[in-house]
Amino acid sequence: MSESVSGGAMKLRILLADDHEIVRRGLCALLQKREGWEVCGEASDGREALEMAKQLKPDVVIVDIGMPYLNGLDTTRQLLQHDPRFKVIVLTITDSDQVIREALDAGARGFVLKSDAARDLVSAVEALQSKRMFFTPRVNDLVLAGFLDKGHPISRDEPPNLPTLTVREREVTQLLAEGKSSKEVATLLNLSTKTVETHRSNIMRKLSLHSIRDLVVYAIKNNIIQIQMPPQLPRSTETTVV
Amino acid sequence: MPVMAVRILLVDDHPIVRQGLRTILEGRSGWEVVGEASDGVEALEKVNALHPDIVVLDVTMPRMNGLEACRLIQQDGKKSGLEVLFVTQHDSPQMMREALDAGARGYVVKSNAARDLLEAVEAVSQHRVFTALARSPQAAN
Repeated sequence: MSESVSGGAMKLRILLADDHEIVRRGLCALLQKREGWEVCGEASDGREALEMAKQLKPDVVIVDIGMPYLNGLDTTRQLLQHDPRFKVIVLTITDSDQVIREALDAGARGFVLKSDAARDLVSAVEALQSKRMFFTPRVNDLVLAGFLDKGHPISRDEPPNLPTLTVREREVTQLLAEGKSSKEVATLLNLSTKTVETHRSNIMRKLSLHSIRDLVVYAIKNNIIQIQMPPQLPRSTETTVV
Repeated sequence: MPVMAVRILLVDDHPIVRQGLRTILEGRSGWEVVGEASDGVEALEKVNALHPDIVVLDVTMPRMNGLEACRLIQQDGKKSGLEVLFVTQHDSPQMMREALDAGARGYVVKSNAARDLLEAVEAVSQHRVFTALARSPQAAN
């Protein structure tokens, strides 16, 4: 996890993880404009990001929250569990209280809205490079509000149920909520189908859920998976196209 | 074979997505990104000011969404041969139908844009329909 030497200069090595290649291309173009920075790897899901981070040992890891197989928050948790020296910036499309709280709890040192990435991401990487943290103004407001409201470090909102699940159970929850069968989950996690079925039963019992539908709802509510909202179609302004 | 010049306007509310699209499109000789817009209203202004050949348009945007912008662009642009290509996160046949009904010539899903975008712009620039949901690219005359 040390900056690489290239042509005599130390380079800051960055790993990008986002499931949209078009976004990775944009991020790469943005980051590589900076002299002395290089994108050393690109991952398209959380599991790939974990493997690449362990192998490449980047100085900074930038993870999208809404990734398949393993979401960005769990990727952050597992990265820091593996090596607390990893510096992670979370990219997100939403700055809801719960997402902010989970990102902070997971150990992210930067939190940037995707819509503001072109403006904020370089500043965030610079901050981490200088051993500081970087959060959007919304996070700062929330943390300050929590500080002023003694005893509630971030927010009074109902805490998420996530801590009741183990790391493995959260992985299984995401994959089941994404519509994968127990057999498919077993293959992806290199487990037996029977073990996955046991995890599945434990998850349902712990969370008092009764169906896969309930599990999907739980996963959405707790940011384990993110859904695509249909747009409001502009019926009121329909124009005849000939 | 002569290089066909294509002037492109990029419309998406996320600058980082516009940057990603630009890096792909500018790799093609003769293609030029002549401008960018971050919502439908700005797109209409830029279409009038820059006269692009193709508008690459997102669906979900603030102020005016892409479907509405497409309808308004095509009201004026049909005679000039201007074409609209949607690049959107909505991997949905229903949304694709809405886009084509609004006057678009092409529809590409953002998750596969890096794979499909060049082919789609090529087809649309020749006034051919190109639609590609996540798993099934289809070009048609």
